[in-house]
Amino acid sequence: MNSMGLALAIIGASISALLAGIGSAKGVGLVGEAAAGVVSVDPDKFSKVLVLQLLPGTQGLYGLLTAILMLSRIGVIGGNAVELSTAQGLMFLGASLPIAIVGLFSGIAQGRSAAAGVGITARKPEHNGKAIIMAAMVETYAILALLVSILLIYNIAI
Amino acid sequence: MGIDYASAVAVVRTLENSLFTKNDLEQLINAHDSNESETLINSKNAGTLLEVWEMLRTFAPDSKELEILLYRNDFHNLKAVLKAMVSGREPENYLIEPSNIKAGILKEAFRTKDFDLLPEYIRETATNAYGIITTSLDGQLVDSFIDTDCLKAMRKSADSTGNDFMRKYVDLITVCADIKTAYRCSKMNKQRDFLETAICGSPELDKESIIRATLGGTENLLSFLDSTSYAELSGLLKENPAKFEKRCDDLITEQAQTARFKAFGIEPLIAYYIAKEAEIKNIRIITVCRECGADRETITERLRDLYV
Repeated sequence: MNSMGLALAIIGASISALLAGIGSAKGVGLVGEAAAGVVSVDPDKFSKVLVLQLLPGTQGLYGLLTAILMLSRIGVIGGNAVELSTAQGLMFLGASLPIAIVGLFSGIAQGRSAAAGVGITARKPEHNGKAIIMAAMVETYAILALLVSILLIYNIAI
Repeated sequence: MGIDYASAVAVVRTLENSLFTKNDLEQLINAHDSNESETLINSKNAGTLLEVWEMLRTFAPDSKELEILLYRNDFHNLKAVLKAMVSGREPENYLIEPSNIKAGILKEAFRTKDFDLLPEYIRETATNAYGIITTSLDGQLVDSFIDTDCLKAMRKSADSTGNDFMRKYVDLITVCADIKTAYRCSKMNKQRDFLETAICGSPELDKESIIRATLGGTENLLSFLDSTSYAELSGLLKENPAKFEKRCDDLITEQAQTARFKAFGIEPLIAYYIAKEAEIKNIRIITVCRECGADRETITERLRDLYV
């Protein structure tokens, strides 16, 4: 059994969960800071700023989803790990990169955008929807990266 | 790009909702009596400038930029303590809060002549001002010396922060102060020696050019200003000094308004403090004008632009 291939695929699964998770953690943390500032003065705005805080959290979920799909495809989940060549292992590692890298940066960028949106909600709560839309635009690129990662995972011949 | 002060900026954005609006000021002008004015002011939970300062300081305890905002108060207090010392009175009634330096430290520095007790940006000024007042007893010279040194200290500190917002803020303060001083000096036929002390100069308005223009007389100074980007201020000086003062304050508010587009950083905090200063000034203008029986039009004319 070529354990190197499997090891590379598992590293890929880990990287997708790890980097996208870091992106989300940073993004959610930043919005949380801003949101806490608003709530400290006006607690009634909690629900409005909470939506903005949730937005950068999706990248972490996409990373997790990618990792689960990959581990499932290579049989690690279920206990029947398949035999992978080094080339196949590298392919799985490559498949993890779109969501890992885009997840990291888009999570941070979405956090910045949503934190700026918290400022809109603080000053003009009636325009909260616009703040959400602007922050949600960043999500597009995380979804595209997730799509590419999933397509790659399911199209690697094993 | 930095993401500093995310929480503080959000707090400040929320608090901006309770700043006085044009409507609030209208109501204040139209209030029937001082009780109604007081109720209106209290309903906004306005808070004092000192309270605002203390809040901002908790958000950014080490911010050099915030500290610069209070340099003018520090240098004013320096003048107050120095003059009180010379005249053998207590300075308490003349001190301004908030300030970076506690009055007790200022008094102690002059009492013991140990100026090392003071922060570096004011130390040399205090030493030299003490020298001038004790040798010449010339209060006007000391005043202009301290005022100019204050502007120089602000410039030096703003440059050291590398913050363009603060640099522009200091530029505007310096330009307005220099124009005002030069105008007064031209009216009083002050000589070069005094102008060298009283004019600070800035990248916007060069010191030597202002001095030369001032020495040529008031008309010469005004035509010099007409040739600069501050021609508008020259026109206002000719028209009415009160309008000049208002425009100077409005220029600072306009600069503060540039921070409204910033989601992070120290600028929104600084802008909020400036907005609060303008708000308090407006309330004071309305109160004083009403007490003096000024008409509605005069009061409105004198009100400073609002940040929000």
